[in-house]
Amino acid sequence: MTALHRSAPDPIGKAEAEEFLIHEARLLDEQRYDEWMNLFAPDAYYWAPARAGQPDPHAEVSLIFDDREIMQQRIKRLRHPRIFAQLPPSRAVRQVTNVTVDDVDHKRGECTARSVFFMYEFRPTLPEPIHRIFAGEYRHCLRRSGNGLLIAWKKALLVNCDASFDPIFLYF
Amino acid sequence: MNAPDLLPIAGPLDGLIREDRVHKRLYNDAEIFRLEMERVFGRSWLYIGHASQVPKPGDYLTAYMGLQPVILVRHQDGSLHVLHNRCAHRGAMIRTDARGNTGKSFYCGYHGWTFKTNGELLAAPLKRAYAERYDLKCGDFGLARVPRVGVYRGFIFACLAPLSEPLPDLETYLGIGKQCIDKIVDRSPTGELDLNGGVQKYVVRANWKAQVENLNDTYHPPYSHECTTDENKRQFKRRPGDDGGPLLASDENQSIWDRIDAVAFDYGNSYCGPLPFNHEARGGPLYEAHRAALGERHAAEKVDEILTDNFHNVIFYPSVVMQLASIHVRTVRPIAVDRTEICVYPIRLKGVPEEMNRQLVRYLNITHSAASLIQSDDVEMFRRIQGGLASDGAPWVWFNRYMGDEADIPGGQSSIGTSELIMRNQYRAYRGYMAGAIP
Repeated sequence: MTALHRSAPDPIGKAEAEEFLIHEARLLDEQRYDEWMNLFAPDAYYWAPARAGQPDPHAEVSLIFDDREIMQQRIKRLRHPRIFAQLPPSRAVRQVTNVTVDDVDHKRGECTARSVFFMYEFRPTLPEPIHRIFAGEYRHCLRRSGNGLLIAWKKALLVNCDASFDPIFLYF
Repeated sequence: MNAPDLLPIAGPLDGLIREDRVHKRLYNDAEIFRLEMERVFGRSWLYIGHASQVPKPGDYLTAYMGLQPVILVRHQDGSLHVLHNRCAHRGAMIRTDARGNTGKSFYCGYHGWTFKTNGELLAAPLKRAYAERYDLKCGDFGLARVPRVGVYRGFIFACLAPLSEPLPDLETYLGIGKQCIDKIVDRSPTGELDLNGGVQKYVVRANWKAQVENLNDTYHPPYSHECTTDENKRQFKRRPGDDGGPLLASDENQSIWDRIDAVAFDYGNSYCGPLPFNHEARGGPLYEAHRAALGERHAAEKVDEILTDNFHNVIFYPSVVMQLASIHVRTVRPIAVDRTEICVYPIRLKGVPEEMNRQLVRYLNITHSAASLIQSDDVEMFRRIQGGLASDGAPWVWFNRYMGDEADIPGGQSSIGTSELIMRNQYRAYRGYMAGAIP
């Protein structure tokens, strides 16, 4: 084995990616946002497009296009005692299935994991509760680091991304 | 017996609109909503779209005027038409997508009728079956045209009322609000806008008026949006060049929002702002590049004037608001008495550094998407209004702040920011429309 190969990180396999995605979904389900944020690389972004096939988050508006700074603001706001639209707060579960690992970049220790998600949200509120299902495809760029895997970027491609929505407070 | 169609103010609206308040039934009575669609949305100039969305012949977009589906289309000769989205034959919708290019004709999928892009019938299959007394080339068998279409600097409005009604033309209706549109267009060094930067859509579980009353309400931000502010009561930065976001500070005696202007004018229209506290100073490389690009077309003092904010949000009642800070168009579409759809279109400026438009898109995601950190606060309050007004415990919704303190200005009236002058002005126009008068 050459020195180059020895220095390359181990490739990320399907089982490892799947375990990671389930872990990530659980942190969101349980609203453990500090731990969830720690899964993201410093240069990471989270993107939920507003149009099917939207090629670019810069030329057109999105549902969500957050860098880490905005993610922090969003989470800080969710914890604010006067976020009236989350009093009482939403609850949600996310199911992650159909995981495949594509586009493995051995040199960078990165891969793109593709999966399908279903998310059920319930917001107990008057005059009537809000409950809804979001469904779509996740794309995660996963990067191997010293402390396990990190998310270099995450895309949540909702099937109905161009629908008119009730306000959305939770990450998919 | 009541004759509500002839005397609406003496009918279902009798006693429900006063100068300083309106009755809760205006928000949840289905019969009043039906009358609003006929008398307010049926007789006012409604925003349809922007010329940049339909640049080529055959380009179309679908829209609603109140509850009525329409198609904005550019005809082969370049003219713009707003057509009812309803086949002349048996009534099927012609297009059910958001936008596209239809070529030289529209096609109805039911019986294969085709229509020119100015609405005229092109062909009906097996036409021998129609007796001679039916002239298929007469207007009855084309896609009905909305009679009034007006364009001001690329912004397209239409009005459903027949031409026999003595209603104002578009520029008269826009009034002193034209200077707000001028400001937006002049910010482009080439005078061109691009409204093809996508759309953010959200549903409001409330009556449309709750949204429209909020668009120039500068009383609410420190309270509704408290969760969007940092320790210094400042919001996120909204555009490149600003050194900070809007300040939401207020105390027991004064809101910082008192310092801006509330300006009301004819037909229920109004604007607020500008927001002097949006930033302490503007600058930075993008701002300077924008200034330089404008300087290639305009004299220095004109550039200064263009870059000076003259408003924050302008409302063209009842269908649209345009914002200068995060430059966009926002449409209000009533769906039912308790349901409204809002669409937000970024306005990208041609001829500016592309990074400026990218920043605009970025900030609109934060401020105005369904998942935004700001607009979602407002939508929650509209939902709560609809829920609360189911109560018969109190009949009135109040708009009496700073009542009587307004001053006349050329073209309208002005008051301090947190006055409810603007809502009172909306209901003056509303009352006129609902009474069947020219507002």
